[in-house]
Amino acid sequence: MADPANKPSPDKAAQGSDSNPDTLYASRKKLQVRSTSGVFTNWRWAMVWLTQILYYGLPWLTWNDRQAVLFHLTERKFYIFGWVFWPQDVFYLAILLIISAYALFFFTAIAGRLWCGYTCPQTVYTEIFMWIEEKIEGDHNKRRKLDAAPMDARKFMLRGAKFGAWAIFSLWTGFTLVAYFSPVEELLQALTTFGFGPWETFWILFYAGFTYVFAGLLREQVCKYMCPYARFQGVMFDPDTLVVTYDEFRGEPRGTRKKGVDPKTVGKGDCIDCGICVQVCPTGIDIRQGLQYECIGCGACIDACDQVMDKMSYPRGLIRYSTENALKKRWGMKEILVHVARPRTLIYGGLLVAICIAMVVGLATRTDLRVDILRDRATLAREVEGGLIENVYRLQVINMIEEARNVTISVSGLDGIHLDSDGLAALPAATTESVTVQVRVPYDAAEPGVHQIVFEVVVDDDPSVVVREGTTFIIPR
Amino acid sequence: MLKWIQVLWPSFMVAFVATVFFFTVVNPQELYLLGDPVEYSPIATYSIGFFGFWVVCAASSLISIYLEPPSKRGS
Repeated sequence: MADPANKPSPDKAAQGSDSNPDTLYASRKKLQVRSTSGVFTNWRWAMVWLTQILYYGLPWLTWNDRQAVLFHLTERKFYIFGWVFWPQDVFYLAILLIISAYALFFFTAIAGRLWCGYTCPQTVYTEIFMWIEEKIEGDHNKRRKLDAAPMDARKFMLRGAKFGAWAIFSLWTGFTLVAYFSPVEELLQALTTFGFGPWETFWILFYAGFTYVFAGLLREQVCKYMCPYARFQGVMFDPDTLVVTYDEFRGEPRGTRKKGVDPKTVGKGDCIDCGICVQVCPTGIDIRQGLQYECIGCGACIDACDQVMDKMSYPRGLIRYSTENALKKRWGMKEILVHVARPRTLIYGGLLVAICIAMVVGLATRTDLRVDILRDRATLAREVEGGLIENVYRLQVINMIEEARNVTISVSGLDGIHLDSDGLAALPAATTESVTVQVRVPYDAAEPGVHQIVFEVVVDDDPSVVVREGTTFIIPR
Repeated sequence: MLKWIQVLWPSFMVAFVATVFFFTVVNPQELYLLGDPVEYSPIATYSIGFFGFWVVCAASSLISIYLEPPSKRGS
């Protein structure tokens, strides 16, 4: 299948002819989307609640007497519940990104733009903003009338209330974003006096502004013109991908008819051409023209059409999740589900599971002690009393957990090698401690030159936590 | 308007990724500005870094648009 999602159908081209012929962008007509209800709408709202309870709630949780989830930029430490991640753990961030990418491939191959339809912040915030809009300005018909009406006191009041509610919601969203990077308690104190730091103020306003403009004003244009994923998602589709589909065989020829009339007796299909599927579409497309790149797979048209089918006493599912093959070969749900397991999804799924296991194993076996060794750069080696050669090292010992620990440092690799000190060091909780040690070797222990030695750092209370780190020892001529 | 978006939006996305990557790898406290250690707060350094990346990326996008063959250029 050659990327049908990005290929404009002839109808679409005709539709766009009123736009400037030099660009592919039609001038935007403001959409007033009709709200709907049903299974897919419920799913979308469930995801709105789930994602937003997480987003707005997480910064307020505490764990180990600190914020449970905090990406502390000043300390360069990421706190996620019991874990503390350091810049050295960037590996896990990379794995997490790979998991996200494969999850996106996997779910898109199975059922199209699930991400877009249910969890993308653009969809979620648009949904919330449209809910506010409907509560203040009324349903889609009232809103359209209000759009057309001249500015008067009532319109001014309604618009002011809507924009005000959006602004408050956006500001709270911006505040929450910053609370992930700057401790929320400090922010809250600053909030009472509006005494945020200049950059915190800036980022709150910046993200609030983005939320307001994207979810309130731009809406479907973000998906149509700005989102890179929307442009390349077509390559992840194949003829067995479940997408929101209008059943042309069943629906055509469409047309109006009286209620209770068997469509076959009047030579018509099941589509009564009421146009509600177009009215509820957040991107304003007509799903009956087939798969289009604008379709974000939200399923609003499915819910809307099912209600109409119920009213007409026709079976539901004139618009439903189906696949290209299923429609062509008139498959039922059972055959569609059988074709979910195919090489593409099995490979994506297998890789996804493998990487997730690697991530879990990596986290479970992560050593919570890390040692970096720096040679003293001023003097490579010197002779000290008693015929000993001394090299000086600075050990950066990172105690990655939130618990103070004592460690013992020792060294090996040459005959008679030893530390000048007892090698004991106290590490405060979740800090990097710099320990300077002098390593000494008898003059005749080895030939002049560079020798490999090994430092060993052991936690006193738990000898199973041990880090060995190699470095070099220089014996001068 | 379209051109502004074509310049500013892709550069915004790339600048975001670049900022995350750069400051994950490099500690801003270890940076030097004109020979002196950077003394801004970390959040200021990250922010300035982000805008720096954005400006550079936007400059690149701007030149891409400028060099585009006239036949392909949107009006």
